[in-house]
Amino acid sequence: MLKAKNRLGLIFFPAFDWAISPTHPERQERLLYTQDQLIEEGVFDIPGIKEYKPDLATIEDVERTHFCFPDVRSILTESHLVSAGGAIKAARLVMEKREDRAFALVRPPGHHAMKVVHGSRGFCNINIEAVMIEHIREHYGRKRIAIVDTDCHHGDGTQDLYWHDPDTLFISMHQDGRTLYPGSGFIDEQGGPNAIGKTVNIPLPPETSDEGFLYVLEKVVLPILDDFKPDLIINSAGQDNHYSDPITNMRFSAQGYARLNEILKPDIAVLEGGYSIQGALPYVNLGIALAMAGVDYSYVREPDFERESVRQEPEVTQYIKKLSKEILERYYRAGDFVMRGMPGNYMVRKKSIYYDTDGIRENQVESVMVCDDCAGVLKIETISSVNPLCLGVEVPLGSCDRCRSEGYRILEEAREKGKHSHIQLIDRMGREYLRF
Amino acid sequence: MLLGIDVGGTHTDVVVVDARGVRAAAKVVTNHENLFESVNGGIAAMLREVDAAGIERINLSTTLSTNAIVENTIEKVGMLVSAGPGIEPASFTIGDQYHRIEGALDHRGAEILPLDEKRLEKAIAACRKAGIKAYAAVSKFSTRNPAHENSMREALAGSADFITQGHAISGNLNFPRRIATAYYNSSVWRIYNRFADAVEKALGEYGVRASVNVLKADGGTMPLAVSRLLPVETILSGPSASVMGILALCDIGVDSVVLDIGGTTTDIAVFASGGPLIEPDGIALNGRNTLVRALRTRSIGIGGDSLLRVEGGEVRVGPERLGPAVADGGVLATLVDAFNRLGADAHGNTEASARAMEDLAKKNGMNGEELARRAVERATAFIKSSVDEMIAEINERPVYTIHEMLEGRRIAPERIYVVGGPAEAFRKELARAFSLEVTVPRDYAVANAIGAALARTTMSIELLADTEMGMLMIPELGVSREVPASYTLEEAGEDARRYLIGHLGKTAPGERVQAEVVHAASFNMVRGYHTAGRNIRVRCQVKPGILEKYEKGVRGTC
Repeated sequence: MLKAKNRLGLIFFPAFDWAISPTHPERQERLLYTQDQLIEEGVFDIPGIKEYKPDLATIEDVERTHFCFPDVRSILTESHLVSAGGAIKAARLVMEKREDRAFALVRPPGHHAMKVVHGSRGFCNINIEAVMIEHIREHYGRKRIAIVDTDCHHGDGTQDLYWHDPDTLFISMHQDGRTLYPGSGFIDEQGGPNAIGKTVNIPLPPETSDEGFLYVLEKVVLPILDDFKPDLIINSAGQDNHYSDPITNMRFSAQGYARLNEILKPDIAVLEGGYSIQGALPYVNLGIALAMAGVDYSYVREPDFERESVRQEPEVTQYIKKLSKEILERYYRAGDFVMRGMPGNYMVRKKSIYYDTDGIRENQVESVMVCDDCAGVLKIETISSVNPLCLGVEVPLGSCDRCRSEGYRILEEAREKGKHSHIQLIDRMGREYLRF
Repeated sequence: MLLGIDVGGTHTDVVVVDARGVRAAAKVVTNHENLFESVNGGIAAMLREVDAAGIERINLSTTLSTNAIVENTIEKVGMLVSAGPGIEPASFTIGDQYHRIEGALDHRGAEILPLDEKRLEKAIAACRKAGIKAYAAVSKFSTRNPAHENSMREALAGSADFITQGHAISGNLNFPRRIATAYYNSSVWRIYNRFADAVEKALGEYGVRASVNVLKADGGTMPLAVSRLLPVETILSGPSASVMGILALCDIGVDSVVLDIGGTTTDIAVFASGGPLIEPDGIALNGRNTLVRALRTRSIGIGGDSLLRVEGGEVRVGPERLGPAVADGGVLATLVDAFNRLGADAHGNTEASARAMEDLAKKNGMNGEELARRAVERATAFIKSSVDEMIAEINERPVYTIHEMLEGRRIAPERIYVVGGPAEAFRKELARAFSLEVTVPRDYAVANAIGAALARTTMSIELLADTEMGMLMIPELGVSREVPASYTLEEAGEDARRYLIGHLGKTAPGERVQAEVVHAASFNMVRGYHTAGRNIRVRCQVKPGILEKYEKGVRGTC
């Protein structure tokens, strides 16, 4: 008889009544065949695997994580609160030791949603992993957390959210940004001045197959995880690296995804993208669930799988080997590659962001206090095609006294001047989430 | 008149009901070695009271299949299993003639790999050599396309007395459950049919020309002829007789909890808006999950004969039952003795109860009344926490739409119905613990037989239409036909209802049935940026209920 070696909680929420638009890839049908496959395989009957209903994320869960303009309700629908709530449920199961691991098979996804949200980009409104992680830190203590993003698209939203956080290691394996949306995630993107090296990008060439993914996992991801020593590992489990995905160019298989999760041993996995809804998702999700539970997955295979047609070309292998070496070198010597200003001064970034799903253009100026004692107070001024000038101020978790009082100084100053249409304060120290 | 027979573990209860109420009732001891004799004895007892010609319907609940499976007195089955990729199918091995045949279908029923005919022939030859005559043919996703199970059936021609095909049992997905259910069905087929033959023969001899129906675990019945092909559907029908009995006796309109408190265990069932809740996937038997639809019940180790103990100053009740209560001539004090001591019951030898309670109390530095009170409180608290858990589980069941997530109805019981030996003794304590009204129906001693007598035919079907492939299927009814690209969800709902009513019109004529669509969904299948078709899923059922004509007569004794 089958039995899970690791107790696994599955939060399955296909949102069968929600779509971005009727023919959009992010539509009702997306997890239908996955559900069919999981039920037909009897996955939910395996002793040690249990299905759970999502929680409903609260507005506070979102406001703790994002700057939303004009406000939270305007930039999301109930579906996003359920999907983020699914991730939160997964986290609670693991943190409260009710399960060893958890997999949130939920939609809509979140990893393109950045710190500031004016609308939807890359099918994402709020970053469901980040909302989950900040929920964990709020309720279970300030954890060191590693996110390994295996979606084919660079997790630019998650990168943006944790750019300044030294307690969060963000590793993204994705198809090279020169060949795919969102066009970012190069190896020199390594984190802000207070979190140098805590962002790691692995831009893989098109037609990378199982061999290449597992190579970088073992040669790059695992050594960096060993060095960072996280309390929790989270897999942002996008499934569009699959050879049959209609909007990407990779050659990853269900066996590869399962093997990746077996080696990575994430505490929590959260579904992200993946739009080969018939040919890939049913098998990839089955493989991931079995691998996480420690159940034999060796018979899981796509109907059209042919080892020969997804073999990796030698040039690709060579390229990945060279790339891996360079990324590791950059990780261990990150301070040499990234400029860091003097403590007590602001480092400023200017960003222009396009929200492809909603057609919004945003321009922002992000300033972070360079600080030796904490993640540094963060100030973002943002203007977009849907909102006049807005301001977000964040006093981070573990903030030093100077950064915290600086945060309130910025807030008071801005309120006196009155040039921002909306101001949002996130004070993680005082648990104050205020809007003006 | 209706004749209801409930063959239980200890007693077989029989009852005759007409439009005015219970006409006759009897209790005979169940003969485990020969269940037919118990049934026959029950019928004979009734025919001494009423005229055979007046009986129009007989409903029978029997433990025959359950016992055969649990006691492993079943026939060997040749399992032909075609899995395709997924979980290693050896994990689901059942019986010692489990043969894997290469071949695969996908989730939409498309053939990925043809069935390996050579391997199939070999497997059948091996089974023949082992003297196998009963078979089960199961393929993964056969409810989406029965082609491979049909090929197996054809290959078995001339070799088998009986074949269960997986898709014919249930339209639900779940390959491991399909394997176990098909196996059980074939394994009890012969013994069950012998029993059915004996029942029909006896009825003929008595001159009874009633329709004969058999109770299922979902609180409904099926015609005897149908049960001959689906004997697995008769397993674990015990709790459903009691639950349907309460439904018959009491006018339950609200969310309620039903407790059937026996000697060893208490069965808990939950009613939503007056109707019993169904186990969504199917019931488990002998450690195997099946696709057999059943009422959602939970059994806990508290009953009248539950043993009382004191451990470290804590009073414990059950789950052990080491014998009858002292009041019934037993040796060790049980819950019944505690009720007797408190004066909540006056069962059997109350003086013996009182003495036993005092003895046990003295050994543990208490007085008898205190011990009895704490025992009853403990038992009630356990029932309460088990009911709470069950309700929480129901309310926490996964949902798959935003609408259900936000608007999903939650069960909140307003009333408790209790049947079984210690029901009356428990009434006050349960009312206090739950802060709810507690009802003990007056005829609760034969509630189970009344439930069996008045239960209606039930059935559930799954309709799946794929307009891109142009196909419609209802696996349970063997329906498979083409549909045009324009086929809609509304048409599917009507078709499901029509097919179900049409089928029951043939198998259970004369009964007025209401078919309801309980789940209906249509998904646009998009390929590229165009809609290629719709994937339509409809579940339609005739839910458990009470034969209307007789409802008035038995009602009101509640």
